[in-house]
Amino acid sequence: MSGAVEALHIYDEHNRPILSHIYTGRPLSAPQLLPLYMSHAQPRPSFIYLPNTSPPTLVFSLIHSNLLFLLTSSSEIEPLLALEFLHRIIDVLEEFVGSPLLAHKVESSYDVVAQLLNEMCDAGAVSTTEPNALRDVVEVEGWLNKLLGGINIPGKTGFASAPSSSNMSAISSTGSLAANTPALPWRRANVRHTSNELYVDIVETLSVTLAPSGRPLAAFANGTIAFTSKISGVPDLLLNISSPSGKQNINSVMQLPVFHPCVRLARWKEKPGEMSFVPPDGRFILAGYEVDLLPFQNGHVGSTNASNLKLPVQVEVKTGLGPTGSDFEVRLFITKVSGQGNSSSSALSSRSSNQLGGRGGFGAQPGTSSTPTLEDLVVTIPLPTDVRNLSEMRASRGDTTYNPGGENLEWHIPAKEAVTGGATLRCTVAGPLVDDEDFESNGFRLDGRYDYDEDTYQSTPAESEKEPLKVDETSNARKVAQNKILMPSSAAVSFSVKGWLASGIKVESVVIDTKKSRGIGEGVKPYKGVKYLTISRGGIEARC
Amino acid sequence: MESVSRISSLLESARELTLDAAQSARSSRSSLKTMSTAQIKKLLDSRNDREVLEGLRRVISMMYRSQPCLPFFSSVVKNVASPNIEIKKLVYIYLLSHAEAEPDLALLSINTIQKSLSDSNAQVRALALKTMSGIRVPVISQIVSLAIKKGLGDMSPYVRKAAALAIPKCYRLDPGTLPQLLEYLGTLLGDKQYFVAGAAVVAFLEICPERLDLLHKHYRGLVKKLVDMDEWSQLATLRLMTVYSRKCFPKRTRRVRKSRRDGTEGFYRDDDDEQEEEEEETGEVVEVLDPDLELLLKSIKPLLQSRNSAVVVAVARCYVNLGTQEYVNSSIGPLIALLRGPQDVQHIALYNIVSVCLTRPEAFVKYASHFLVRATDPSQVWELKLELLTLIFPHCDAYLRSIILNELEHFSGGSDKELVREAVRAIGRCAQSDSRTSARCLRLLLKQITSLDGNLAAESLTVIRHLIQQDPASHTNTVIRLAKNLDTATNPRARASIIWLVGEFSGIDGENNIAPDVLRILAKGFADEAEPAKLQIILLAAKVYLHHLNRSDIQPEVQKSTPESPGYDDLPSMGNEGFRDLDNPLDTTYQAPEPEPEHPIITLWNYILILARYDTSYDLRDRTRLYKALLAVPSSTQLASLMLLAPKPVPHTPSPSESRTGFTLGSASLVVGEEGGVNGLRGFEKLPNWVKPGYEPNPSLRDADVGTVDYDKTRIVPAGERLDSAVRDTRTASPSKTNGFGAAGLGKEKKLEDWLAESEAEEESGEESSEEDAEESEEEESSEEAEEESDDDDNERDSLVK
Repeated sequence: MSGAVEALHIYDEHNRPILSHIYTGRPLSAPQLLPLYMSHAQPRPSFIYLPNTSPPTLVFSLIHSNLLFLLTSSSEIEPLLALEFLHRIIDVLEEFVGSPLLAHKVESSYDVVAQLLNEMCDAGAVSTTEPNALRDVVEVEGWLNKLLGGINIPGKTGFASAPSSSNMSAISSTGSLAANTPALPWRRANVRHTSNELYVDIVETLSVTLAPSGRPLAAFANGTIAFTSKISGVPDLLLNISSPSGKQNINSVMQLPVFHPCVRLARWKEKPGEMSFVPPDGRFILAGYEVDLLPFQNGHVGSTNASNLKLPVQVEVKTGLGPTGSDFEVRLFITKVSGQGNSSSSALSSRSSNQLGGRGGFGAQPGTSSTPTLEDLVVTIPLPTDVRNLSEMRASRGDTTYNPGGENLEWHIPAKEAVTGGATLRCTVAGPLVDDEDFESNGFRLDGRYDYDEDTYQSTPAESEKEPLKVDETSNARKVAQNKILMPSSAAVSFSVKGWLASGIKVESVVIDTKKSRGIGEGVKPYKGVKYLTISRGGIEARC
Repeated sequence: MESVSRISSLLESARELTLDAAQSARSSRSSLKTMSTAQIKKLLDSRNDREVLEGLRRVISMMYRSQPCLPFFSSVVKNVASPNIEIKKLVYIYLLSHAEAEPDLALLSINTIQKSLSDSNAQVRALALKTMSGIRVPVISQIVSLAIKKGLGDMSPYVRKAAALAIPKCYRLDPGTLPQLLEYLGTLLGDKQYFVAGAAVVAFLEICPERLDLLHKHYRGLVKKLVDMDEWSQLATLRLMTVYSRKCFPKRTRRVRKSRRDGTEGFYRDDDDEQEEEEEETGEVVEVLDPDLELLLKSIKPLLQSRNSAVVVAVARCYVNLGTQEYVNSSIGPLIALLRGPQDVQHIALYNIVSVCLTRPEAFVKYASHFLVRATDPSQVWELKLELLTLIFPHCDAYLRSIILNELEHFSGGSDKELVREAVRAIGRCAQSDSRTSARCLRLLLKQITSLDGNLAAESLTVIRHLIQQDPASHTNTVIRLAKNLDTATNPRARASIIWLVGEFSGIDGENNIAPDVLRILAKGFADEAEPAKLQIILLAAKVYLHHLNRSDIQPEVQKSTPESPGYDDLPSMGNEGFRDLDNPLDTTYQAPEPEPEHPIITLWNYILILARYDTSYDLRDRTRLYKALLAVPSSTQLASLMLLAPKPVPHTPSPSESRTGFTLGSASLVVGEEGGVNGLRGFEKLPNWVKPGYEPNPSLRDADVGTVDYDKTRIVPAGERLDSAVRDTRTASPSKTNGFGAAGLGKEKKLEDWLAESEAEEESGEESSEEDAEESEEEESSEEAEEESDDDDNERDSLVK
């Protein structure tokens, strides 16, 4: 009844198997499995059923930084269990062998990986997956070296920037597993740090759909609160969050939240906006939520438009321009967004900004809450497969990339050019080479088609455009019709803004509850930092 | 919830992947230099821990790369006794994967591992237990069983957890150990430590999911521990509890009115449900939840905010299959929240959402904007999203409906052919469900038939045909419009659809119908048509002719008698005679009307018959012959009318996922669908039906647990809140306190239960239960040693029995 995870295979970027861990049963081997997986057309679903193998196999796949992870089972298993487990494996491997996860890193620390995989799943039943708990039971002799060699490049943030001494203590504590009740499954025992730090990173990913009229159909910001805690002992923390409309409304702003098991749900219910928890050591995801940026959409029609959304970039696409309708135009309006305000960071002790650039705090370096900046602005326009080439591309700013016959046109605007104002890109498409003669021979059918159009209810835009043209009317109209299927149907905008959140959510304070906490020395004041980031990965989609 | 790695990569976008890769290429390759077998062996045989470790690392690397490393078996296993824990762990890992191939050598290591079971370090004990049970050498099953028994009484919860996880492994080694294992499970299920109990549930599901009788007295305890368990144990427990509840709590709805209360009370007293009744006071039809079931449903509510998507779906499954409408509604938001996860999770979550949506579409209306298709969605995702949009469509208000239709219209004009096709089908389903918008849907569809893509045109025509069939009366004009389209439509299937429709409407308006005219035009180009269209032309001709006959029949009744007799005479002979009789009846029919100038329809019919007769397609010729025979006798059209003019059933296109409704929410079979077989994938089991009232086990079985229930009655709190008490525990920790015998107070009842259930093993269990009783009373004096002793006794007896 309960399915078992039978094997885990990892392949590198050249699809060479670099690791196969068999948990139970007699699963297919890595080389056998790969061609079966690859035989599915792209994009490959993350869950594939192979009925013709012996035994019939369920394959779950995940691709992370060019590594392909396959997990198999031969009987009914909850697919989400398998996929979540794969995600956890990746998280844990990143934490232990360093991120980004590269094939050679896995290969050079097989001993650690073996222990991890062995602990995470016991003969097919998923068992310990908490990184903190794993640190207690996994021996990592060379961990420190790998950390230094692998990811401690200057300027990096995250837990890699922790002083190495704390990692030392992490190792020395190994083996001294508390003989009796572990207080908290997610926090390892005897945490010691020489410098205590607390960072809150709030990341919101935008997902906005704009109708051809420019009216937003749906606009969501999916938020994630990542927390990094490096505090000795067992700290009890209180994180206060507020929305622009005050603290009472936080529940209506942060919708459908999910929490790390450490968060006390009762407290959140009682006082929304307050998260009280004993954090795991290191970086973890504290909570996730979503914000509907169009809260009154169900109210009714029309009044909302894109500018009400207060997005840093607005986009508009027009197609079928020019005499033959072969042009399309993308317009961007870049506006300045105001930051999250400094009231929050003043409550936090300021930090030396060189250590972690871009964190909220004082100072006017780019990308802080006081001066949010727009970066990585890219407009992606998927083109129909019939488009043979773009004969002309004129961008008022930035540069365009397009390979003839390619699927996408990309328009990059570098950060320094992404200043307030408008920008346009106009392109001319060229369709498949059509022999005019041939086309004419089909003529009666096409003509008939126009007959039909006229006497039925529809009037295509093609026709409305053909009217003003007197000369060559029919041939142009035909071209317009032809070009119509070559027009893109949407454009997606990607960017990132540091120091600004679409939802306007703010961190009011992060406090250590000294009464409930243990093992923190008197008067220890940890460094605190808050970082806001809004990201759109093709998240703003304008239709046309 | 997003994974840490994904968020980290967002936060540190300027990651120098290439730099890292380059750096590593230099450093790592050197260390991976292969060593000869002899060299590695030498390392393994060394006395220096460091060298041994290095050797082991080499072996593990080879193991993971699927290189043969059996030759090292003896050298590796020798190190099992090493006091160095790192060495020990690596040796264990090696043993786990290779012991099966070298069972004899592996046995040599068992003794050492057994010694580790008594190590002072809990981690070592747990590891030893885990390894021992994981070695796939069936001979040692008894030793493993004993080791598990020892582990049960261990002070450290880690060891007890390892013992729980070892149970299914031991069962796989030797199913004959089941009776002992069940006994161990009984103890572990009642363990106070939530993660021990969780592991015990996993083991339970693996070895004896049908033995629900073992669960009764642990039910409340498990439900209360559920929130604190780790996510994977939560999943197992939720799965178990869903089945348990179906089998133990009969579904009751009740009509209660205050005035008639006495009567109902009397009625329900039979069902042993007094407490419930007192709570219930008013209301019309209320689904009555057993208090124990309600306890489960309430206590898993916080899990809807779990970060683990599988847990959220498992709770939803529990609510959908066990709970009332309110509970289901509360799980819908969290299900929608899964859509913001990574794409793989999103995809699977959508299947589950569709599955819930099929039964309760209304509740999803407010989340409509989550289902808008994005240009970046892969086909598997937009398919499900389109389905969701059509499912909720009938329940939306006008504004949302127009948004959904706009959405579908947008995609039906796109360039991705698959997407266009699905969008067209979706429009059809929308129109089907709501007659008011069907005019608009039809307009959208009519746009498509002129499409340059023939398949699309055909697809939309099929959908149009379905729509027209649903309400033929109001669509006569549409048919005329479609008929005009025959000039331009090129796709044979599209043409066939139109022609068929014209045929269906050929009986309306008598002589004014367009059908004969359409037929006339089609007859001109008959030779150029494709086969499907030709078939329909023949059918159309037959219908037109039949209608003509029917009309003319009414007026000249007299004509009837003359041609009838020859027709009937010839008919029976037709089957036997082959081609010859094709001509004979023809002749007779032609001759009959000849005197007068022929009606054009008759001429047309004959012309078509001749055309079809010389067609290359067998099928076409056969059908022609059939129609010809049917209509051979102009005066007797009854049979033909029955066959050709029968009212057609209104087609209903089901939502694509309706075939999956039999599969349980959250299962892989739900995702795979029919491909996995009618009964789902291997290992899939449908949820049992609700137990019939009166057949459920006595609820008082669950009360047996009173002792432990008191212990944490108010503690449905996240583990976080246990911190303080845990802190105190660590200070004052005494061995007896953490001993995990939560079920101590109830040994008696449980044993009785067991005894009843295991009547086949009467003698042994009988002994055991008395043994257990003794053990239990000893334990109540809370003396550690006494228990150890009784353990030993048991061990001895076990080995004697076997």
